[in-house]
Amino acid sequence: MDDSLFRLKQSFDEKGIFFSFSGPISQDLIVEIGDILKHKMKLEEASKSTILKVFSLLIEQSQNIIHYSVEKIPTQKSLNDELHFGIITVGFEDGHYYVIAGNLMDNKDIDRLETKLNKIAVLDNDQLKAYYKSERKKKSDQQSKGAGLGFIEIARKACQPLEYNFEKIDRDHSYFTLKTVI
Amino acid sequence: MTESLYTFKENLAKKGVFLCFNGPISHDLMVEMGDILKLKMQLQEESISTILKVFSLLIEQTQNIIFYSAETIPEPENTSNNIHLGIISVGYLNNSYFVQGGNKVKNNDVSRIEKSLSKLQKMSKEEIKQFYRTQRKLISPETSKGAGLGFIEVARKSSKPIEYHFKKIDDQFSFFSLKTTI
Amino acid sequence: MNNLVIEPTKYTPNIVFLFDEKVLEISGESYPENTAEFYSPVLKWLIEFLKIKESKTITVNIIIQYFNSSSSKIFMDIFDLLNEKSREGFDIIVNWNYLEADDNMLEYGEEFQEDVDYLKFNLVPRKSI
Repeated sequence: MDDSLFRLKQSFDEKGIFFSFSGPISQDLIVEIGDILKHKMKLEEASKSTILKVFSLLIEQSQNIIHYSVEKIPTQKSLNDELHFGIITVGFEDGHYYVIAGNLMDNKDIDRLETKLNKIAVLDNDQLKAYYKSERKKKSDQQSKGAGLGFIEIARKACQPLEYNFEKIDRDHSYFTLKTVI
Repeated sequence: MTESLYTFKENLAKKGVFLCFNGPISHDLMVEMGDILKLKMQLQEESISTILKVFSLLIEQTQNIIFYSAETIPEPENTSNNIHLGIISVGYLNNSYFVQGGNKVKNNDVSRIEKSLSKLQKMSKEEIKQFYRTQRKLISPETSKGAGLGFIEVARKSSKPIEYHFKKIDDQFSFFSLKTTI
Repeated sequence: MNNLVIEPTKYTPNIVFLFDEKVLEISGESYPENTAEFYSPVLKWLIEFLKIKESKTITVNIIIQYFNSSSSKIFMDIFDLLNEKSREGFDIIVNWNYLEADDNMLEYGEEFQEDVDYLKFNLVPRKSI
């Protein structure tokens, strides 16, 4: 057996990543991940407000994966039940915690998402708050399982503008990465 | 723009890894990972026998990390409220599933662990079973958290001899990796 | 003596030990965080029970889908205890239920069976668990 597992651990450590999960993500799994990370940050004496922010970004970004990742296994139970795959990581760098999430998406959805993110990126806190409230009042979008507000919520919790990346994989798919810093 | 997580995902995919966890591990978190692993394999119509084998190796190897990882928060030898850190991954390559676990160990413990493992590595299936049965009658449940049998159990369930690796990190610690195949 | 009933969780089994009926059942999954701690009341009850109860038929049903290595040790302890009592003249039957499609559990059952000389140990295949 080689040292590839050690090298993987090293690369995480070098980047300041102390938690990372890649695979099928369920709500129950997110709950436990959230719990252990809260516990860890408490032991490291992070402030209560920081802990709550990191926790909520973890939840929001993980739930994005559950709702929107196109890398999935369908179940026979119902059309709404699917196992979705993605990556979620949490790290600490230059005095800030950060959460990075990644999932596969359809190329045809990129424009809409990118437009939304670009719009959010230039808003300050007050503008984000106003935008959030106005979006919330709108008639609920059938397709979005609540993430219409999700990205705005995420942007509000982050301490700097969101960073994102759409890496084209092939004709149909790209990989969407979103980084939030607390 | 942030770095894309796609490269990381592709690296894992090349190795056949479909589930990879790095960080603080709790018992409850392990339970959810186990559940999601079972669900994924069920959806892919694996035989119940294979599912239970891979599941049991995930549990045994993760419990090994939870009990014995020398990388803890807060620092080791502290309270029983310690959180243990490690890496666990599950994959499928060349028609076999594999489970890999990695965690820090104290350099003082390396030769003892290595001795147990190299002994198991050289045994035939029958010899491992016999060894399991004799050890089971000997070990007292109060002293160990039960992992006296742990290595033997994983060697027994692995369809190929277990593979392991020790990488020295510094004066105090090494990184221990263990791989089982189904 | 009271019955012993422990509700199951995702990783600890359902324990239903009925004093009067002399039927003891362990079912579900067994991979507790602290195995010795979980099974301590189970073993205590069993030891007391075997002291009090006359030796007429005691039935033990094991219906487990998965158990970890530390649980394996506890089961061995339980079967050893029952085996010892059988040698003393108790009439005890253990039914090791296993999923028909799971050759692992059959194998574990066979091994326990081989390790208990006096205890009646049956292997019961089931279509579902």
